[in-house]
Amino acid sequence: MVLLDHLASGLIFSSIIVLGSIGLSLVYSIADFANFAHGDTMTIGAYTSLVTFGAIGGLGGAVLGIPFGFFVALVVGMAMAALVAIVTEKVVYEGMDVDSIGLLITSIGVAFVYRAVIQMGFGADAVRYDIQALRPIEWLLPYNVRVTEHDVAIVVSAAVLVTGLHVLLQYTDLGRKMRAMADNPDLARVSGIRIDRIKLWTWVIGAGLAGAGGVFLGLYNLLSPRMGFNLLLLIFAAVILGGIGSVYGAMAGALLIGMIHELTPLLSQLGRVFTFLPEGFGLPIGNQYGSAIAFVIMVIVLLFRPQGIAGEAV
Amino acid sequence: MSAGTRLQTAWADLTRAEQGVTGFIVGFAALLLFGLLSGGLAPTYFLYLVGIAGMYALLSFGLNSQWGFTGLINFSVAAFFGIGAYGAALTTADSSPLAGGFNPLVGLLVALVLAAVLALLIGIPTLRLRADYLAIASLGLAEVVRTIVKNESQWTNGTAGVRGIPSFFEGWPVLATFPEAMPGLEIFVPFGARIVLGTSFWSALLNVSLVLIFVGVSYALLRRVHRSPWGRVLRTIRSDEDLARALGKHTYSFKMQSFVLGSLIMALAGVFYAHLNLFVSPGDLDPITTFYVWVAVILGGSGSNRGALFGGFVIVAIREGTRFLNEFAWIPFDVAPLRLLMIGVLIVLVMRFRPQGVLPPQRELIWPSAVDEAPSRPDSGVREAKAGGGDE
Amino acid sequence: MSDVEEAVDQDVANDQTVPRDQDVPHDTSKEDVVLRVDDLQKAFGGLVATDHATFEVERGTITGLIGPNGAGKSTIFNLISGFYEPDGGRVEVNGVDVTGMEPYEVADHGLIRTFQTPRKLEGMTVREAMLVGPQNQPGESFVNVLTSPGSVGEAEKRNLAEAERILEEFEIDHLATQPATDISGGQMKLVELARAMLAEPEILLLDEPVAGVNPTLRNELADQIRRLNEEGTTCLLIEHDMDFVMELADPVVVLDQGSVLMEGPPQRVQSDDRVIEAYLGGGT
Repeated sequence: MVLLDHLASGLIFSSIIVLGSIGLSLVYSIADFANFAHGDTMTIGAYTSLVTFGAIGGLGGAVLGIPFGFFVALVVGMAMAALVAIVTEKVVYEGMDVDSIGLLITSIGVAFVYRAVIQMGFGADAVRYDIQALRPIEWLLPYNVRVTEHDVAIVVSAAVLVTGLHVLLQYTDLGRKMRAMADNPDLARVSGIRIDRIKLWTWVIGAGLAGAGGVFLGLYNLLSPRMGFNLLLLIFAAVILGGIGSVYGAMAGALLIGMIHELTPLLSQLGRVFTFLPEGFGLPIGNQYGSAIAFVIMVIVLLFRPQGIAGEAV
Repeated sequence: MSAGTRLQTAWADLTRAEQGVTGFIVGFAALLLFGLLSGGLAPTYFLYLVGIAGMYALLSFGLNSQWGFTGLINFSVAAFFGIGAYGAALTTADSSPLAGGFNPLVGLLVALVLAAVLALLIGIPTLRLRADYLAIASLGLAEVVRTIVKNESQWTNGTAGVRGIPSFFEGWPVLATFPEAMPGLEIFVPFGARIVLGTSFWSALLNVSLVLIFVGVSYALLRRVHRSPWGRVLRTIRSDEDLARALGKHTYSFKMQSFVLGSLIMALAGVFYAHLNLFVSPGDLDPITTFYVWVAVILGGSGSNRGALFGGFVIVAIREGTRFLNEFAWIPFDVAPLRLLMIGVLIVLVMRFRPQGVLPPQRELIWPSAVDEAPSRPDSGVREAKAGGGDE
Repeated sequence: MSDVEEAVDQDVANDQTVPRDQDVPHDTSKEDVVLRVDDLQKAFGGLVATDHATFEVERGTITGLIGPNGAGKSTIFNLISGFYEPDGGRVEVNGVDVTGMEPYEVADHGLIRTFQTPRKLEGMTVREAMLVGPQNQPGESFVNVLTSPGSVGEAEKRNLAEAERILEEFEIDHLATQPATDISGGQMKLVELARAMLAEPEILLLDEPVAGVNPTLRNELADQIRRLNEEGTTCLLIEHDMDFVMELADPVVVLDQGSVLMEGPPQRVQSDDRVIEAYLGGGT
């Protein structure tokens, strides 16, 4: 079935988006502004791991077609993204006396700086990881599903990271404090929680996850200096759709957006999907409109339910 | 009072920020003049610079109207610039996939109508949203517009773009042949170079006149509306929208009006660009243009038209200045990311150290005839006082 | 003492549970009602903020609205002025049903409200800020600005003169050309009050006008409000400062857990057992 293949792609793409949207949602709730540099943070993670992987190589074995060395590079990429985020917070945002909109505008400048540095170092052309591309998994082919082991690795890794975050938020002290701060910053401050410390940890976690998202985006697609920014709008759409202030909403939003994006090509082939429609029937919406459709849907949802799926009432 | 003393009192009347900016502009103009006279700067290129500066000035005016005065975070500037350019192009170019070959004035009208329609399409869903949602939604919808322009080749020629756009003055009685009709001039500057003014110079001059007219009309229009009660409601919306609502103002309607006005001015810039560049492509809707204009406005001074003008000049200086750096081979990387870096650093620095910009609104904005008798300005610039420079 | 009041007193004396809102017969001796709130309801998620609240504001009075924290005073203000949409009930200004209308429409019908913590108006002088007050200015129409500059100029001149006159009445006319961000918080409160008057309200809703204000300014604000009232403006004010309310307002409406507990002259309200218990017992 044609539909299954697209659903699978949707799942894979959602896994990448969710790593970005969770981080963005966390920063939104706790640092209280829309971080437009989040996409380029993903790019930093991707390129750092590119360099690292190039340096250390495969390190022997592989799992799901991905060398061990790549996973090491992944961790390094996440760490670098987190480091850059902390430095930016300390050097730029911390001392600023502007409101949330002012920080939003500043983060655009920060995004440009990130992207410019990467482009100066690596050029504007696209590159790929030095990992051999795989053929689709054999036993899924009869179902018309074209998925490689790399894709599975992406989904599994994202699931692991998201679960880890869930555990952190629900069962650790840090997680509890983060949730408190997101819920009610004034109360949190008064009850003795070290705001600055929590904020830093939020940046670390948020940027780290974004870095991971960038690495997987590079694996799934390719690396280019604009890769993060290109995804940023979809990530924002996921966060807003899911509801600002809710990490779980951001997960739901990511799933939705990813699915919508990958299911769009089916619009022009509706006849093949639904047997009750004539064979050649389809809406004249090209494949390139995936992002556009996802976006328009987000705007429509905002009109009727501004708090998103899981957010608190506005 | 002699001219000298009149100049002196006028200078003393300016606030420090205004003095700084005036000094900068005078100095920069002198530099350009020197370049012209010494032959380093070709006259045609000089006029091209003026034209581009005028274009960015228009874009900045438009954004200033939306952000500086009403507080609307509009990240869809590029879309309106592009719609203006494509509107003019598709109407006037012979090679247009839609009806083409019309008079550029018709193209101008089409562009403005398209911009107004697009403003309504984007504004209606987004202007009720909170500020940061408006930012994201407007950026996204601008990208939707760009995707459509890029992909619907049957309307727009897609990535190939639209060529063969005539000059704005084609088909006009005298002006169409003005560039060729004017004799080539040679000017000998003592101690300087020999300057030759040929056909390309005269056509560039025509273009510059066009943009100066656009800029002049927009500036005059904005100046009047911003000194009016209408403008005052907008500024109140920016500071405290709930207050405006509580005082009986239909803020959604005001926001929409401001949004449409700004969009029309941005489209005007696009129309000029089409007739200057004689070619438009989907790349012209790249969001980087949006952020260039944002830098111009926040650097120049949110809420001030003169500040927007100043910001426009700075952007052109950065864009064209970095182009020259290419000449110097010792820079190991490409110019494009360098430009991006400068823009990024500029945004961060401005927001960090002077978020109100270089030349924020300096004076009271009250309808002129109402304040003729009363003192028209406070003892110090309104923003200056806040920033601590109270003894100017 | 009216029959109603006697009956209520009797209940209190008998230590009966006093019936709430809808069972208490309302004081029908009000002649000219500017604001009528009838059975207003609002819930946020599971939390009931306004619970069938009913009261009236008689023209020419300064009516106080008090209640412990969490009683729902701000919610009622927002419901009346259109910033929240009620789940049920009715709001009438001058006999006109304004329930669920947008804030600007409610203001159009003569109800002007102030805010407890307004944001400062950037880039404006005090008199510019005042000029936002008057309603239906011809210059607020974009078309008029372009096509009839004469009438716009005339109206602006009149409004400016009126603004400066009012500033003088409030004794802050010396601040007219000062940047609005430069004046003190207390002076800003006076400006807000002055500006609200420029909108020519039928009724003025004052949201905690003296919150966090020093005693001198508090007295000055009380004087100004009293003066406005004597000149004909009806006021409804929320305040936590008991002394302020008691010396200024009559009648006083007491709100507790979203509904009207009782209403009466300040002395009686102050000494009422139920009111005291509501404050001590804590509605939160």
